[in-house]
Amino acid sequence: MKHTSAQSILPVLLQGKGKALNGFDFSPKLWHGVILLAVCLLTSTISFAQSAPAKISVIDALFRWMPLLLQGFVFNLVISVFAMAIGTASGAALGLGQISPNVAIRKVCWFVTQFFRNSPWLVLLFFAMFLLPFEFSVFGLKIPLPDWLKATVGLSLPVMANVSEIVRGAVNSLPSGQWEAAESLAFSRRQTLWEIILPQCVKRMLPPWMNLYAILTMATVLASIVGVSEVMTLTGQALAAEGGRTDLLAPFYSFVLLIFFIYCYPIARWTVYLEQKFAVKG
Amino acid sequence: MKLEKLFVAVAFSAFALTTTFASADALDDIKAAGVLKVGVKADYKPYGFRDPSGTIIGIEPELAKDVADKLGVKIEYVPVVSSNRMQFLEQGKIDLMIATMTDRPDRRKVVNIVDPNYYSSGTNVLALKSLGLKNWDDLNGKPVCGIQGAFYNKATSQKYGAKIVAFKGTAEAYAALKGGNCAAFVYDDSAIVAKTNDPEYADYEMPLPTIDDAPWGLAVALGEDKFNALMSDMITGWHKSGRILELETKWGVSNTPFAKAMNAKYK
Repeated sequence: MKHTSAQSILPVLLQGKGKALNGFDFSPKLWHGVILLAVCLLTSTISFAQSAPAKISVIDALFRWMPLLLQGFVFNLVISVFAMAIGTASGAALGLGQISPNVAIRKVCWFVTQFFRNSPWLVLLFFAMFLLPFEFSVFGLKIPLPDWLKATVGLSLPVMANVSEIVRGAVNSLPSGQWEAAESLAFSRRQTLWEIILPQCVKRMLPPWMNLYAILTMATVLASIVGVSEVMTLTGQALAAEGGRTDLLAPFYSFVLLIFFIYCYPIARWTVYLEQKFAVKG
Repeated sequence: MKLEKLFVAVAFSAFALTTTFASADALDDIKAAGVLKVGVKADYKPYGFRDPSGTIIGIEPELAKDVADKLGVKIEYVPVVSSNRMQFLEQGKIDLMIATMTDRPDRRKVVNIVDPNYYSSGTNVLALKSLGLKNWDDLNGKPVCGIQGAFYNKATSQKYGAKIVAFKGTAEAYAALKGGNCAAFVYDDSAIVAKTNDPEYADYEMPLPTIDDAPWGLAVALGEDKFNALMSDMITGWHKSGRILELETKWGVSNTPFAKAMNAKYK
Protein backbone atom coordinates (compact mmCIF):
# COMPACT_ATOMS: atom_id res chain seq x y z
CA MET A 1 0.00 0.00 0.00
CA LYS A 2 2.82 2.31 0.87
CA HIS A 3 4.34 1.54 -2.47
CA THR A 4 1.27 2.71 -4.44
CA SER A 5 0.92 5.97 -2.59
CA ALA A 6 4.57 6.69 -3.20
CA GLN A 7 3.97 6.07 -6.88
CA SER A 8 1.41 8.79 -7.21
CA ILE A 9 3.66 11.29 -5.47
CA LEU A 10 6.90 10.28 -7.10
CA PRO A 11 6.26 9.29 -10.68
CA VAL A 12 9.88 8.24 -11.01
CA LEU A 13 8.98 5.11 -9.09
CA LEU A 14 6.53 4.14 -11.81
CA GLN A 15 9.28 2.50 -13.77
CA GLY A 16 9.39 -0.21 -11.16
CA LYS A 17 5.76 -0.95 -11.77
CA GLY A 18 4.67 -4.43 -12.66
CA LYS A 19 6.87 -7.02 -14.27
CA ALA A 20 7.16 -5.10 -17.51
CA LEU A 21 10.74 -4.23 -16.83
CA ASN A 22 11.88 -7.67 -15.72
CA GLY A 23 12.33 -8.94 -19.22
CA PHE A 24 9.98 -8.18 -22.04
CA ASP A 25 6.58 -9.60 -21.25
CA PHE A 26 5.61 -10.71 -24.70
CA SER A 27 3.25 -13.52 -23.78
CA PRO A 28 0.71 -12.42 -26.38
CA LYS A 29 -2.69 -11.46 -25.12
CA LEU A 30 -4.06 -14.08 -27.40
CA TRP A 31 -7.72 -13.42 -26.73
CA HIS A 32 -7.55 -10.33 -28.93
CA GLY A 33 -6.53 -12.40 -31.91
CA VAL A 34 -8.75 -15.31 -30.94
CA ILE A 35 -11.78 -13.05 -31.21
CA LEU A 36 -10.81 -12.08 -34.74
CA LEU A 37 -10.10 -15.67 -35.70
CA ALA A 38 -13.50 -16.59 -34.32
CA VAL A 39 -15.11 -13.90 -36.46
CA CYS A 40 -13.32 -15.29 -39.52
CA LEU A 41 -14.39 -18.86 -38.79
CA LEU A 42 -17.89 -17.89 -37.76
CA THR A 43 -18.55 -15.96 -40.95
CA SER A 44 -17.16 -18.90 -42.89
CA THR A 45 -19.40 -21.45 -41.25
CA ILE A 46 -22.51 -19.31 -41.33
CA SER A 47 -22.10 -18.71 -45.01
CA PHE A 48 -21.16 -22.35 -45.49
CA ALA A 49 -24.55 -23.30 -44.16
CA GLN A 50 -26.18 -20.97 -46.64
CA SER A 51 -24.29 -21.95 -49.76
CA ALA A 52 -25.59 -24.50 -52.19
CA PRO A 53 -24.06 -27.97 -51.92
CA ALA A 54 -22.82 -27.90 -55.52
CA LYS A 55 -20.32 -25.16 -54.75
CA ILE A 56 -17.10 -25.70 -52.89
CA SER A 57 -17.28 -24.75 -49.25
CA VAL A 58 -16.13 -21.39 -47.99
CA ILE A 59 -13.27 -22.90 -46.02
CA ASP A 60 -12.08 -24.78 -49.10
CA ALA A 61 -12.25 -21.61 -51.15
CA LEU A 62 -10.32 -19.68 -48.52
CA PHE A 63 -7.64 -22.36 -48.36
CA ARG A 64 -7.40 -22.46 -52.12
CA TRP A 65 -6.76 -18.73 -52.37
CA MET A 66 -4.71 -18.39 -49.20
CA PRO A 67 -1.26 -18.81 -50.83
CA LEU A 68 -2.03 -16.07 -53.34
CA LEU A 69 -3.45 -13.75 -50.69
CA LEU A 70 -0.43 -14.30 -48.44
CA GLN A 71 1.84 -13.53 -51.39
CA GLY A 72 -0.06 -10.28 -51.78
CA PHE A 73 0.35 -9.58 -48.08
CA VAL A 74 4.11 -10.06 -48.31
CA PHE A 75 4.00 -7.46 -51.04
CA ASN A 76 2.25 -5.08 -48.63
CA LEU A 77 5.02 -5.68 -46.11
CA VAL A 78 7.71 -5.01 -48.71
CA ILE A 79 6.02 -1.73 -49.60
CA SER A 80 5.69 -0.77 -45.93
CA VAL A 81 9.34 -1.56 -45.10
CA PHE A 82 10.72 0.35 -48.09
CA ALA A 83 8.38 3.30 -47.55
CA MET A 84 9.36 3.41 -43.88
CA ALA A 85 13.09 3.32 -44.75
CA ILE A 86 12.82 6.09 -47.33
CA GLY A 87 10.49 8.12 -45.12
CA THR A 88 12.68 7.75 -42.03
CA ALA A 89 15.89 8.75 -43.78
CA SER A 90 14.40 11.80 -45.47
CA GLY A 91 12.21 12.64 -42.46
CA ALA A 92 15.17 12.63 -40.08
CA ALA A 93 17.01 15.06 -42.33
CA LEU A 94 13.92 17.23 -42.61
CA GLY A 95 13.35 17.16 -38.84
CA LEU A 96 16.91 18.25 -38.14
CA GLY A 97 16.39 20.97 -40.73
CA GLN A 98 13.43 22.18 -38.73
CA ILE A 99 15.66 22.89 -35.74
CA SER A 100 18.49 24.36 -37.79
CA PRO A 101 19.91 27.68 -36.61
CA ASN A 102 19.67 28.87 -40.23
CA VAL A 103 16.31 30.62 -40.65
CA ALA A 104 15.95 29.83 -44.36
CA ILE A 105 16.54 26.08 -43.91
CA ARG A 106 14.21 26.07 -40.92
CA LYS A 107 11.40 27.77 -42.82
CA VAL A 108 11.73 25.56 -45.90
CA CYS A 109 11.83 22.37 -43.85
CA TRP A 110 8.88 23.55 -41.78
CA PHE A 111 6.87 24.24 -44.93
CA VAL A 112 7.70 20.89 -46.56
CA THR A 113 6.81 19.07 -43.35
CA GLN A 114 3.51 20.85 -42.94
CA PHE A 115 2.64 20.43 -46.60
CA PHE A 116 3.05 16.65 -46.65
CA ARG A 117 1.77 16.12 -43.13
CA ASN A 118 -1.52 17.80 -43.92
CA SER A 119 -2.21 16.16 -47.29
CA PRO A 120 -4.38 13.08 -47.62
CA TRP A 121 -2.25 9.97 -48.11
CA LEU A 122 -4.33 8.83 -51.05
CA VAL A 123 -3.85 12.10 -52.93
CA LEU A 124 -0.08 11.92 -52.44
CA LEU A 125 -0.23 8.34 -53.70
CA PHE A 126 -2.10 9.44 -56.82
CA PHE A 127 0.46 12.15 -57.52
CA ALA A 128 3.35 9.75 -57.13
CA MET A 129 1.63 7.25 -59.44
CA PHE A 130 1.14 9.72 -62.25
CA LEU A 131 4.00 12.17 -61.88
CA LEU A 132 6.68 9.52 -61.92
CA PRO A 133 7.29 7.92 -65.32
CA PHE A 134 6.86 4.14 -65.65
CA GLU A 135 10.45 3.96 -66.83
CA PHE A 136 13.30 6.40 -67.16
CA SER A 137 16.49 6.23 -69.14
CA VAL A 138 19.95 6.88 -67.78
CA PHE A 139 22.58 7.01 -70.54
CA GLY A 140 20.35 5.11 -72.89
CA LEU A 141 19.72 2.38 -70.33
CA LYS A 142 16.02 1.98 -69.65
CA ILE A 143 15.25 1.45 -65.98
CA PRO A 144 11.68 0.40 -65.34
CA LEU A 145 9.87 1.93 -62.40
CA PRO A 146 7.20 -0.59 -61.44
CA ASP A 147 3.90 0.45 -59.88
CA TRP A 148 4.68 -0.86 -56.42
CA LEU A 149 7.85 1.23 -56.30
CA LYS A 150 5.92 4.32 -57.25
CA ALA A 151 3.37 3.52 -54.55
CA THR A 152 6.25 3.10 -52.10
CA VAL A 153 7.55 6.56 -52.94
CA GLY A 154 4.04 7.97 -52.68
CA LEU A 155 3.51 6.47 -49.23
CA SER A 156 6.96 7.52 -48.02
CA LEU A 157 6.05 11.21 -48.42
CA PRO A 158 3.57 11.41 -45.52
CA VAL A 159 5.86 9.13 -43.49
CA MET A 160 8.70 11.57 -44.12
CA ALA A 161 6.65 14.50 -42.84
CA ASN A 162 5.52 12.61 -39.75
CA VAL A 163 9.04 11.43 -38.92
CA SER A 164 10.19 15.03 -39.33
CA GLU A 165 7.70 16.11 -36.68
CA ILE A 166 8.68 13.23 -34.41
CA VAL A 167 12.35 14.27 -34.59
CA ARG A 168 11.58 17.95 -34.02
CA GLY A 169 9.23 17.16 -31.16
CA ALA A 170 11.71 14.82 -29.47
CA VAL A 171 14.55 17.35 -29.66
CA ASN A 172 12.33 20.12 -28.34
CA SER A 173 11.03 17.93 -25.54
CA LEU A 174 14.45 17.67 -23.94
CA PRO A 175 14.93 20.18 -21.13
CA SER A 176 16.94 23.20 -22.27
CA GLY A 177 19.33 22.48 -19.40
CA GLN A 178 20.88 19.76 -21.56
CA TRP A 179 21.86 22.34 -24.18
CA GLU A 180 23.06 24.80 -21.60
CA ALA A 181 25.12 22.21 -19.75
CA ALA A 182 26.70 21.09 -23.01
CA GLU A 183 27.49 24.66 -23.94
CA SER A 184 29.10 25.29 -20.58
CA LEU A 185 31.31 22.26 -21.20
CA ALA A 186 32.44 23.83 -24.48
CA PHE A 187 30.68 21.36 -26.79
CA SER A 188 30.07 22.70 -30.29
CA ARG A 189 26.50 22.72 -31.61
CA ARG A 190 27.15 19.70 -33.77
CA GLN A 191 28.74 17.81 -30.89
CA THR A 192 25.87 18.72 -28.58
CA LEU A 193 23.31 17.51 -31.11
CA TRP A 194 24.98 14.25 -32.07
CA GLU A 195 26.55 13.23 -28.76
CA ILE A 196 24.13 14.58 -26.16
CA ILE A 197 20.73 15.44 -27.58
CA LEU A 198 20.03 12.80 -30.25
CA PRO A 199 21.03 9.75 -28.17
CA GLN A 200 18.49 10.84 -25.58
CA CYS A 201 15.92 11.44 -28.31
CA VAL A 202 16.12 7.98 -29.85
CA LYS A 203 14.20 6.29 -27.08
CA ARG A 204 11.63 9.08 -27.06
CA MET A 205 11.16 8.72 -30.80
CA LEU A 206 10.95 4.94 -30.90
CA PRO A 207 7.35 4.45 -29.70
CA PRO A 208 5.78 7.08 -32.01
CA TRP A 209 7.97 5.85 -34.83
CA MET A 210 6.71 2.30 -34.38
CA ASN A 211 3.18 3.58 -34.16
CA LEU A 212 3.69 5.32 -37.45
CA TYR A 213 5.00 2.10 -38.95
CA ALA A 214 1.90 0.18 -37.87
CA ILE A 215 -0.31 2.90 -39.36
CA LEU A 216 1.71 2.84 -42.57
CA THR A 217 1.41 -0.94 -42.85
CA MET A 218 -2.34 -0.67 -42.60
CA ALA A 219 -2.32 2.17 -45.12
CA THR A 220 -0.53 0.08 -47.77
CA VAL A 221 -3.90 -1.30 -48.86
CA LEU A 222 -4.49 2.14 -50.38
CA ALA A 223 -2.19 0.97 -53.15
CA SER A 224 -5.00 -1.29 -54.35
CA ILE A 225 -6.85 1.81 -55.55
CA VAL A 226 -4.02 2.70 -57.90
CA GLY A 227 -3.81 -0.83 -59.28
CA VAL A 228 -0.91 -2.41 -57.38
CA SER A 229 -1.49 -6.16 -57.03
CA GLU A 230 -1.36 -6.25 -53.23
CA VAL A 231 -3.57 -8.20 -50.86
CA MET A 232 -6.72 -6.06 -51.25
CA THR A 233 -6.57 -6.11 -55.04
CA LEU A 234 -5.99 -9.87 -55.04
CA THR A 235 -8.85 -10.43 -52.61
CA GLY A 236 -11.19 -8.55 -54.92
CA GLN A 237 -9.93 -10.57 -57.89
CA ALA A 238 -10.23 -13.85 -56.02
CA LEU A 239 -13.83 -13.00 -55.15
CA ALA A 240 -14.51 -12.15 -58.80
CA ALA A 241 -12.95 -15.44 -59.90
CA GLU A 242 -15.29 -17.29 -57.55
CA GLY A 243 -18.11 -15.75 -59.55
CA GLY A 244 -19.09 -12.93 -57.21
CA ARG A 245 -20.34 -15.27 -54.47
CA THR A 246 -21.62 -13.00 -51.73
CA ASP A 247 -21.14 -15.65 -49.02
CA LEU A 248 -17.38 -15.43 -49.54
CA LEU A 249 -17.18 -11.69 -48.99
CA ALA A 250 -17.10 -11.65 -45.18
CA PRO A 251 -14.72 -14.62 -44.69
CA PHE A 252 -12.25 -13.32 -47.27
CA TYR A 253 -12.13 -9.81 -45.91
CA SER A 254 -11.95 -11.03 -42.31
CA PHE A 255 -9.01 -13.18 -43.35
CA VAL A 256 -7.26 -10.05 -44.63
CA LEU A 257 -8.17 -8.33 -41.37
CA LEU A 258 -6.72 -11.23 -39.43
CA ILE A 259 -3.34 -11.27 -41.18
CA PHE A 260 -2.95 -7.53 -40.69
CA PHE A 261 -3.88 -7.97 -37.04
CA ILE A 262 -1.38 -10.77 -36.54
CA TYR A 263 1.33 -8.56 -37.96
CA CYS A 264 0.43 -5.20 -36.40
CA TYR A 265 -0.70 -6.34 -32.96
CA PRO A 266 2.73 -7.42 -31.67
CA ILE A 267 4.09 -4.10 -32.89
CA ALA A 268 1.41 -2.28 -30.92
CA ARG A 269 2.12 -4.35 -27.78
CA TRP A 270 5.83 -3.77 -28.11
CA THR A 271 5.22 -0.02 -28.52
CA VAL A 272 3.18 0.02 -25.33
CA TYR A 273 5.97 -1.84 -23.55
CA LEU A 274 8.60 0.63 -24.77
CA GLU A 275 6.39 3.57 -23.84
CA GLN A 276 6.10 2.24 -20.30
CA LYS A 277 9.77 1.57 -20.11
CA PHE A 278 10.81 5.02 -21.27
CA ALA A 279 8.08 6.91 -19.45
CA VAL A 280 8.68 9.51 -16.76
CA LYS A 281 12.43 9.80 -17.00
CA GLY A 282 13.83 13.32 -16.88
CA MET B 1 -16.87 7.76 -62.78
CA LYS B 2 -15.29 10.13 -60.30
CA LEU B 3 -12.27 7.93 -60.00
CA GLU B 4 -11.89 7.80 -63.75
CA LYS B 5 -12.02 11.60 -63.96
CA LEU B 6 -9.43 11.95 -61.24
CA PHE B 7 -7.17 9.52 -63.07
CA VAL B 8 -7.54 11.45 -66.30
CA ALA B 9 -6.92 14.81 -64.61
CA VAL B 10 -3.82 13.64 -62.82
CA ALA B 11 -2.58 11.81 -65.90
CA PHE B 12 -2.87 15.00 -67.92
CA SER B 13 -0.99 17.06 -65.36
CA ALA B 14 1.65 14.36 -65.32
CA PHE B 15 1.78 14.51 -69.09
CA ALA B 16 2.40 18.25 -68.93
CA LEU B 17 5.25 17.85 -66.47
CA THR B 18 7.15 14.93 -67.88
CA THR B 19 8.50 14.49 -71.35
CA THR B 20 7.09 11.67 -73.38
CA PHE B 21 9.25 9.15 -75.12
CA ALA B 22 8.94 9.23 -78.87
CA SER B 23 9.23 5.58 -79.77
CA ALA B 24 9.80 4.34 -83.28
CA ASP B 25 7.18 1.69 -83.91
CA ALA B 26 5.38 -0.46 -81.39
CA LEU B 27 5.78 -3.65 -83.44
CA ASP B 28 9.56 -3.19 -83.73
CA ASP B 29 9.79 -2.43 -80.01
CA ILE B 30 7.79 -5.54 -79.12
CA LYS B 31 9.92 -7.77 -81.31
CA ALA B 32 13.11 -6.22 -79.97
CA ALA B 33 11.96 -6.71 -76.38
CA GLY B 34 10.69 -10.23 -77.16
CA VAL B 35 7.62 -9.70 -75.03
CA LEU B 36 4.11 -8.43 -75.69
CA LYS B 37 2.57 -6.60 -72.77
CA VAL B 38 -1.20 -6.89 -72.85
CA GLY B 39 -3.58 -5.12 -70.51
CA VAL B 40 -6.36 -7.51 -69.46
CA LYS B 41 -8.97 -7.58 -66.73
CA ALA B 42 -8.24 -9.68 -63.68
CA ASP B 43 -11.64 -9.32 -62.03
CA TYR B 44 -14.11 -10.00 -64.81
CA LYS B 45 -15.04 -13.65 -65.07
CA PRO B 46 -14.87 -15.28 -67.60
CA TYR B 47 -13.26 -12.62 -69.80
CA GLY B 48 -10.24 -12.12 -67.59
CA PHE B 49 -9.72 -13.41 -64.05
CA ARG B 50 -7.14 -15.09 -61.83
CA ASP B 51 -6.81 -18.76 -60.98
CA PRO B 52 -5.71 -19.61 -57.42
CA SER B 53 -2.05 -19.67 -58.50
CA GLY B 54 -2.33 -16.01 -59.50
CA THR B 55 -2.15 -16.56 -63.26
CA ILE B 56 -4.57 -14.49 -65.30
CA ILE B 57 -6.83 -16.66 -67.46
CA GLY B 58 -10.01 -16.31 -69.48
CA ILE B 59 -11.27 -15.48 -72.96
CA GLU B 60 -9.32 -12.26 -73.44
CA PRO B 61 -5.98 -13.60 -72.17
CA GLU B 62 -6.34 -16.44 -74.70
CA LEU B 63 -6.96 -13.97 -77.51
CA ALA B 64 -3.90 -12.02 -76.37
CA LYS B 65 -1.86 -15.23 -76.41
CA ASP B 66 -2.86 -15.74 -80.06
CA VAL B 67 -1.38 -12.33 -80.87
CA ALA B 68 1.86 -13.09 -79.03
CA ASP B 69 2.16 -16.44 -80.84
CA LYS B 70 1.61 -14.71 -84.15
CA LEU B 71 4.38 -12.20 -83.40
CA GLY B 72 6.59 -14.98 -82.05
CA VAL B 73 7.15 -13.29 -78.69
CA LYS B 74 6.42 -14.08 -75.07
CA ILE B 75 3.34 -12.69 -73.40
CA GLU B 76 3.02 -10.65 -70.25
CA TYR B 77 -0.41 -9.94 -68.78
CA VAL B 78 -0.78 -6.62 -67.00
CA PRO B 79 -3.94 -6.49 -64.87
CA VAL B 80 -5.90 -3.32 -65.58
CA VAL B 81 -9.15 -1.84 -64.29
CA SER B 82 -11.67 0.30 -66.13
CA SER B 83 -10.34 3.50 -64.64
CA ASN B 84 -6.68 3.05 -65.66
CA ARG B 85 -6.66 0.91 -68.82
CA MET B 86 -6.50 3.79 -71.32
CA GLN B 87 -3.84 5.63 -69.33
CA PHE B 88 -1.66 2.50 -69.29
CA LEU B 89 -1.89 2.31 -73.06
CA GLU B 90 -1.10 6.02 -73.47
CA GLN B 91 1.88 5.75 -71.16
CA GLY B 92 3.20 2.78 -73.09
CA LYS B 93 3.04 0.52 -70.07
CA ILE B 94 1.05 -1.93 -72.19
CA ASP B 95 1.29 -2.46 -75.95
CA LEU B 96 -2.20 -3.81 -76.44
CA MET B 97 -5.39 -3.59 -74.44
CA ILE B 98 -8.03 -6.30 -74.53
CA ALA B 99 -10.00 -5.40 -71.44
CA THR B 100 -13.77 -5.61 -71.99
CA MET B 101 -13.79 -2.00 -73.15
CA THR B 102 -16.89 -0.69 -74.88
CA ASP B 103 -16.14 1.04 -78.17
CA ARG B 104 -17.13 4.69 -77.78
CA PRO B 105 -16.34 7.72 -79.96
CA ASP B 106 -14.81 9.68 -77.07
CA ARG B 107 -12.52 6.72 -76.31
CA ARG B 108 -11.38 6.61 -79.94
CA LYS B 109 -9.84 10.04 -79.40
CA VAL B 110 -7.67 8.70 -76.59
CA VAL B 111 -6.66 5.28 -77.88
CA ASN B 112 -6.53 3.59 -81.28
CA ILE B 113 -9.48 1.17 -81.27
CA VAL B 114 -9.16 -1.58 -83.87
CA ASP B 115 -11.94 -2.41 -86.37
CA PRO B 116 -13.81 -4.73 -86.62
CA ASN B 117 -15.03 -5.12 -83.04
CA TYR B 118 -14.18 -8.44 -81.43
CA TYR B 119 -17.10 -8.77 -79.05
CA SER B 120 -20.28 -7.11 -77.88
CA SER B 121 -22.51 -6.86 -74.89
CA GLY B 122 -25.61 -5.02 -73.82
CA THR B 123 -26.65 -3.27 -70.66
CA ASN B 124 -29.19 -4.83 -68.34
CA VAL B 125 -30.06 -5.06 -64.70
CA LEU B 126 -30.49 -7.77 -62.10
CA ALA B 127 -33.31 -7.00 -59.69
CA LEU B 128 -35.66 -8.67 -57.23
CA LYS B 129 -38.71 -10.20 -58.88
CA SER B 130 -40.86 -8.70 -56.14
CA LEU B 131 -39.80 -5.23 -57.23
CA GLY B 132 -41.74 -5.71 -60.47
CA LEU B 133 -39.65 -3.49 -62.72
CA LYS B 134 -41.35 -2.99 -66.09
CA ASN B 135 -39.25 -0.46 -67.93
CA TRP B 136 -36.05 1.48 -67.51
CA ASP B 137 -37.83 4.62 -66.30
CA ASP B 138 -38.87 2.71 -63.17
CA LEU B 139 -35.28 3.12 -62.00
CA ASN B 140 -35.62 6.92 -61.85
CA GLY B 141 -34.27 8.25 -58.56
CA LYS B 142 -33.54 4.75 -57.22
CA PRO B 143 -30.10 3.64 -56.06
CA VAL B 144 -28.60 1.19 -58.57
CA CYS B 145 -25.38 -0.75 -57.95
CA GLY B 146 -22.68 -0.66 -60.59
CA ILE B 147 -18.97 -1.20 -61.10
CA GLN B 148 -16.57 1.73 -60.91
CA GLY B 149 -15.75 3.11 -64.35
CA ALA B 150 -18.08 0.73 -66.20
CA PHE B 151 -19.82 1.80 -69.39
CA TYR B 152 -23.14 0.37 -68.22
CA ASN B 153 -23.53 3.04 -65.55
CA LYS B 154 -23.77 5.89 -68.02
CA ALA B 155 -27.11 5.39 -69.74
CA THR B 156 -28.70 4.15 -66.54
CA SER B 157 -27.85 7.33 -64.69
CA GLN B 158 -28.04 9.88 -67.50
CA LYS B 159 -31.02 8.68 -69.50
CA TYR B 160 -33.07 7.01 -66.81
CA GLY B 161 -32.06 9.06 -63.77
CA ALA B 162 -30.93 6.20 -61.53
CA LYS B 163 -28.48 6.97 -58.74
CA ILE B 164 -25.42 4.83 -59.38
CA VAL B 165 -23.67 3.35 -56.35
CA ALA B 166 -20.36 2.17 -57.79
CA PHE B 167 -18.34 -0.69 -56.30
CA LYS B 168 -14.82 -1.98 -56.83
CA GLY B 169 -15.77 -5.50 -57.83
CA THR B 170 -18.72 -7.70 -58.70
CA ALA B 171 -18.74 -9.58 -55.38
CA GLU B 172 -19.17 -6.32 -53.47
CA ALA B 173 -21.92 -5.19 -55.85
CA TYR B 174 -23.82 -8.48 -55.58
CA ALA B 175 -23.54 -8.33 -51.80
CA ALA B 176 -24.92 -4.79 -51.81
CA LEU B 177 -27.79 -5.90 -54.02
CA LYS B 178 -28.59 -8.82 -51.72
CA GLY B 179 -28.26 -6.58 -48.70
CA GLY B 180 -30.91 -4.32 -50.15
CA ASN B 181 -28.62 -1.33 -50.57
CA CYS B 182 -29.76 -0.86 -54.15
CA ALA B 183 -32.82 -1.63 -56.20
CA ALA B 184 -30.90 -3.27 -59.03
CA PHE B 185 -27.43 -4.11 -60.28
CA VAL B 186 -26.54 -2.79 -63.72
CA TYR B 187 -24.00 -4.86 -65.64
CA ASP B 188 -23.52 -6.69 -68.90
CA ASP B 189 -26.41 -8.89 -70.00
CA SER B 190 -24.45 -12.13 -70.49
CA ALA B 191 -23.23 -12.04 -66.88
CA ILE B 192 -26.73 -11.29 -65.61
CA VAL B 193 -28.32 -14.12 -67.60
CA ALA B 194 -25.79 -16.47 -66.04
CA LYS B 195 -26.66 -15.14 -62.57
CA THR B 196 -30.40 -15.66 -63.02
CA ASN B 197 -29.74 -19.37 -63.64
CA ASP B 198 -27.97 -19.60 -60.28
CA PRO B 199 -30.32 -21.16 -57.65
CA GLU B 200 -29.01 -18.66 -55.11
CA TYR B 201 -30.56 -15.91 -57.23
CA ALA B 202 -33.93 -17.59 -57.71
CA ASP B 203 -35.73 -14.51 -56.42
CA TYR B 204 -34.00 -12.29 -58.93
CA GLU B 205 -34.74 -11.64 -62.58
CA MET B 206 -33.54 -9.68 -65.58
CA PRO B 207 -36.78 -7.77 -66.09
CA LEU B 208 -35.81 -5.10 -68.63
CA PRO B 209 -35.07 -5.19 -72.35
CA THR B 210 -31.33 -5.07 -73.09
CA ILE B 211 -30.24 -1.61 -74.14
CA ASP B 212 -27.11 -0.11 -75.63
CA ASP B 213 -25.97 -3.31 -77.27
CA ALA B 214 -22.48 -1.97 -77.69
CA PRO B 215 -19.45 -3.51 -79.34
CA TRP B 216 -16.21 -4.03 -77.44
CA GLY B 217 -13.00 -2.65 -78.85
CA LEU B 218 -9.46 -3.83 -78.31
CA ALA B 219 -6.99 -1.02 -78.67
CA VAL B 220 -3.41 -0.07 -79.39
CA ALA B 221 -1.77 3.30 -78.70
CA LEU B 222 -2.61 6.28 -80.92
CA GLY B 223 -0.44 6.49 -84.03
CA GLU B 224 0.38 2.76 -84.13
CA ASP B 225 -1.25 2.18 -87.52
CA LYS B 226 0.92 -0.79 -88.48
CA PHE B 227 0.03 -2.60 -85.28
CA ASN B 228 -3.62 -1.61 -85.79
CA ALA B 229 -3.63 -3.19 -89.27
CA LEU B 230 -2.12 -6.40 -87.89
CA MET B 231 -4.70 -6.55 -85.11
CA SER B 232 -7.49 -5.91 -87.61
CA ASP B 233 -6.38 -9.00 -89.54
CA MET B 234 -6.20 -10.97 -86.30
CA ILE B 235 -9.78 -10.07 -85.34
CA THR B 236 -11.11 -10.90 -88.80
CA GLY B 237 -9.30 -14.22 -88.53
CA TRP B 238 -10.87 -14.94 -85.12
CA HIS B 239 -14.36 -14.28 -86.47
CA LYS B 240 -13.69 -16.29 -89.60
CA SER B 241 -12.37 -19.37 -87.83
CA GLY B 242 -15.03 -19.25 -85.12
CA ARG B 243 -12.33 -18.80 -82.48
CA ILE B 244 -14.50 -16.44 -80.42
CA LEU B 245 -17.42 -18.93 -80.41
CA GLU B 246 -15.02 -21.68 -79.43
CA LEU B 247 -13.64 -19.63 -76.53
CA GLU B 248 -17.13 -18.72 -75.35
CA THR B 249 -18.01 -22.40 -75.17
CA LYS B 250 -14.73 -23.26 -73.47
CA TRP B 251 -15.26 -20.67 -70.73
CA GLY B 252 -18.94 -21.43 -70.19
CA VAL B 253 -20.67 -18.52 -71.92
CA SER B 254 -23.55 -19.33 -74.23
CA ASN B 255 -22.71 -18.13 -77.72
CA THR B 256 -23.71 -14.50 -78.13
CA PRO B 257 -25.69 -13.25 -81.14
CA PHE B 258 -22.86 -10.87 -81.99
CA ALA B 259 -20.22 -13.60 -82.16
CA LYS B 260 -22.52 -15.78 -84.28
CA ALA B 261 -23.32 -12.92 -86.66
CA MET B 262 -19.66 -11.98 -87.11
CA ASN B 263 -18.76 -15.61 -87.74
CA ALA B 264 -21.46 -15.83 -90.42
CA LYS B 265 -20.37 -12.53 -91.95
CA TYR B 266 -16.70 -13.40 -92.40
CA LYS B 267 -17.03 -17.11 -93.10
